[in-house]
Formats: sequence, structure tokens, C-alpha cells
Amino acid sequence: MMILHDRKRIPYKVSPLRLTGWLILIFFLLLALLAPFIAPQDPCKTGTPYLPPSPDHLLGTNDIGQDILSELIYASRVSLAIGLLAGFMSIVIGVAVGLLAGYFRGWVEELLLAIGDLVLLIPGLPLMIILAAYLSPSMWNIILVVGLLWWCSTARVVHSRVLQLRNMPFVEAARALGCSDRYIILRHILVNAKEIVYAKFALAVASAMLTEASLSFIGLGDPLNISWGEMIHFAFSRGGFANDMWWWYLPPGLLICASVLGFVLISMEPNSRKFLEL
Amino acid sequence: MKLSEAGGRRSYFLGKLIRYSLTLFLILSLNFSLPRMMPGDPVVNLLGDEALHNDPEMIEKLRAEFGLDRPMHIQYTDYLRSLSRLDLGYSIHKSHSVADLVAYRLFWTVVLVFPSIVIGALLALLLGSLAGFKSQSRSDLVLTGLALFLYTCPPFLLAMVLVSVFAFHLGLFPLGNLTSGGRTGVEYIADVAWHLFLPVVTLSLLGASYKFLVVRNSVVQLLEEQFVLAARAKGLREMEILTGHVIRNVLPPFISMVALSFGFMVSGALIVEIVFSLNGMGTLVYDAVVARDYPVMQGCFLVLTVSVLAANLIADILYGIADPRIGRTS
Repeated sequence: MMILHDRKRIPYKVSPLRLTGWLILIFFLLLALLAPFIAPQDPCKTGTPYLPPSPDHLLGTNDIGQDILSELIYASRVSLAIGLLAGFMSIVIGVAVGLLAGYFRGWVEELLLAIGDLVLLIPGLPLMIILAAYLSPSMWNIILVVGLLWWCSTARVVHSRVLQLRNMPFVEAARALGCSDRYIILRHILVNAKEIVYAKFALAVASAMLTEASLSFIGLGDPLNISWGEMIHFAFSRGGFANDMWWWYLPPGLLICASVLGFVLISMEPNSRKFLEL
Repeated sequence: MKLSEAGGRRSYFLGKLIRYSLTLFLILSLNFSLPRMMPGDPVVNLLGDEALHNDPEMIEKLRAEFGLDRPMHIQYTDYLRSLSRLDLGYSIHKSHSVADLVAYRLFWTVVLVFPSIVIGALLALLLGSLAGFKSQSRSDLVLTGLALFLYTCPPFLLAMVLVSVFAFHLGLFPLGNLTSGGRTGVEYIADVAWHLFLPVVTLSLLGASYKFLVVRNSVVQLLEEQFVLAARAKGLREMEILTGHVIRNVLPPFISMVALSFGFMVSGALIVEIVFSLNGMGTLVYDAVVARDYPVMQGCFLVLTVSVLAANLIADILYGIADPRIGRTS
């Protein structure tokens, strides 16, 4: 009975909020992939600096005369890539820790959860700032720093889901049939925790994008791969903000909001009045 | 019975204390090992980029002075000993001792963070429970939408928009800084409050957004519980149910969530300070990052993490005293 109940397929209904999230993300994905075809100009080409918006430059030009709209479109590649890769890294670590801790219990569980708690207690941004400051400023180092420090909450959620699953009859049956631990974890437990893992992945990407934006804003971004956060850094430190050039700092900021919102929306449970479960 | 309860409580506090000591040890060790393990010359990593302006002979002298040629465990005990004297090193860039720099700046960051935590938490509790209580109503949709937007908004963007609108265009508030200067007494405090108004609003809104969503969700969930049905059946008024039954159940996890958000609020304060050019830890970190002034960065990291840790520890102890269930064996 229990097994039947667990296998019962709930008809998949896409909630309007989730659909909105997917539409936002598809838009950004297309923007990033088709950047060379959409961008009106080469984002590296320099010209007259600090131009206000005009038909030639719809969002004006920045401090070294690059077209801001084209820079914005190309920056979507960097911001999304950092978010997705750092989110993926943190999810892999978090799921591995959660699975091992929940399945093996005992001292493995104690140790892994204690490490997670320790990392959770250290405030994130100061630690990331100091790590990023010692590493050379590159996109990959930011991915590494964010990914290595954002796994704890994922590990906790996966761990508690595994605790629910590990004593269920179908897991016991698999164990009685002589399946190996590896097989049970990968084919039975992970599969049943996948909903949580997907939702957590979307939220991890959202957090990673916000963290990357803050790090880049402080000036720790990759100077060769400009992200949205870094565009705002330059607008802030090179006079765009002081001179009220909102067309320089507002569009990248709103795109950060929109893409983070997209990832938050797709993480929501369908048919639920709840909004977030972090 | 009484005895075992006291024992359970003691072991709760002991467990917490061990956890915090371990984290403190981890932070101290990280701060020690980062400049020595990370890529680059440890002399530069410890003294900042400007150490390189010295001639090679001087650099070797500095290396010896900082004991970088000695074994690691001796360096580590030396490091702990100088920390116990509150010696955080010396910034060549600012020609000032790091401890002095940090002590002054930390005060202003605390002045910014504390009101924001309180206001943000009250805002989240009040509006969150109302929105959850009237879920799917128009006010719930507006509030939830707003909270969701603020949640996705990077701190610097909100700060920049508020400065631009309220200070730059409407001229209601100063563009930055802590005081206009030349005032004393009550006038000085009023002036500082006027300067800090927008930063506190920014940080409160950022802190409230996530807490609002959590409170709203838990209220929505609690309203479906049996005890609410029972309270309704008894004929209690809706407000009595909300305040007496639902919020009471939201409060304990809410308090620990507020306590755990210290780190997040401090991180947010760093960014908000940079936008408002307030002379707090945020601007100090920002200047240090720009100048690659590593001693200041390390000092700030240490002071910030240890303060957040201390705040969490105090909150945990208060929580342990306030919650009568802790220590009881279930």
C-alpha cells in the first residue's frame, strides 16, 4: 500500500507563477545565447564616453565609450554562467553531504552536519570578500568561492528528506534484496528527493547570482568578463551614479532582479499557497 | 525530575558553547592561514601591496620581523598571542594600526545594523502575519509581491534607487555621510538620525523581505491546523485566534530566524554603507579591496565574523533561557 501510495503520480499542473518563472528564464537564456545577433554593437568597441541615451546608443555609453545596451546583453552570459555553475557546484556538494549524512547516520552524520553548522555560522559576504581578494580576480575563482560556501542549507534539507525516506518499506525491500548502498542511494533515495534538489538548485542559482553581484559591486569581479554587478560597480565608481546616469546602473540592476525572480519562481511548489522554502 | 531538567539545560548550553568555540577556532585559523597559504608572497599578503614599494633588503627584514621564516606552529602561537593583545596588525596604506581603524568604524556599523534588525523584524512579523491571515486577498498579493521583489533585489540597487529618488531628486535626505558636522548635543543626534534614515530604511526593508515571506507561509500553514479549527469552534474572534494562537506558535522559530540573520544583515550593511558613503566597516572594506590593503581586510573579516558569532551566541543563550521546553527530555 505504502509503495503504491508513494508511486502515485500527481498530475503535473504548471502554476501560473512557475510558468512566469520559466518564461523569464527562457528569455534570459535566449538573450545570453543569441547575444552576438541581438547586440546592436560590439561591446568592446570604444567611442565617445558618457553619452546619454540616443537612437545610436539606446542606453548611452559608459566611461570608455562602450555601448551600454550591448554590454548589458553580453553581460547576461557572465552573470548567468556564474550563477548556474556556482549553484551547480553548491548543489553537488550539498546533495552529497546530505545523502551521506542521512543514509549512514552515526558519526558520519554528526561530523558532516557539524561542519555544515560551522560554515553556516560564519557570515558569508566577509568570508567571500577575503577569499576573493586573495585569489586573482577571475570568473572561475568567484564560482569556486560562492559554490564552496553555499551548500549548507541544501545539505540540511536533503538530509531531512533522506531521513524520511531511508526507513520506508521500499528502501528496506531493496536492502533485503541485497542491493548495495551505492545502488540504493542513487536509484531509490536520490530519485525520490529530486523535487527538493531541483527546487534547491533554482534557489542556489538565485543566491549565487545575488552574491556574485555583491562581490562584483565591491570590485572583486573579473575585469575580462563583465557581469551585471560589475557594470554597476563601474557606474558607481566611475561617476555614473554621482551624475545621475540611471540608464547606466538601473538596467543591469533590474535584470539581476528579474533573473533572480525567475529562478525563485520556478522553485515554487505547484498547487501551493506557499511561496518560498529556503 | 527537577534535577534532570537542569542537567538537560546545562548540556544544551554546553553543546552550544562547544559549537561556538569550534567556529571561533575555525575563523582564527582561517585568518591565520589565508595569507600564508593563498597564492602570492606572504609578505605582500600580510602587509598589502604597498609593502612591495620597499627594496628587497627591507622585504627580507620584514619577513624576519613577522616571523614568516619560522615554523608554522610557532607562527600560529605568535599570531594568537598578538590577537590576545588586540593587535590586528598595521596598515601601511593608511599608516594606522588596524585595531584603531576598526574600533571607530565598527561603532557606526553597529549603529546602522541594530535599528535595522529590530525594525525589519517587527515589520516582517506584523505584515507577514496579516498577509498570511488574509492570504489571497489583494493586500496579501501586493505585500507578497513587494517582498518577493525586495528579496530578489541586490542591496546596492535598492540603496542606489533610494538615494537617487529621495536624496538626489527630491532632496529630502542628505546624499551620504554620517553628519553635517559642527553640531553638538541633541542637535548632533538628530542630525545623525536624519543622515541614517535612508540607510536604515534600506537595510530594514532588505532584512524584512525574507522574514516576511517565512512568517506569511507559517501563518498560512498554521491556519489549517486543528487547534485553529477548535478555537474557531469555541467562538473566539479572528483577532484572538491570530494573536493568541497563531502568532504564539510563529514566535519561537521567528526569534531564532532573526538571530540567525545577523550575518546577513552585517553583509547587507557593508554594501549599503558603500552606497551611502558612511564611515563604517563597509567603506573600510571597500577601500581596502581597492588598495589591496590586506591587513585591513583581515582585521575586518576577523572583527565582523567574531561580532556576528558573539551576537548569535547571545541570542542562543537568551533563547535557551526563554524557551521552557529546552532541556526537557521529550
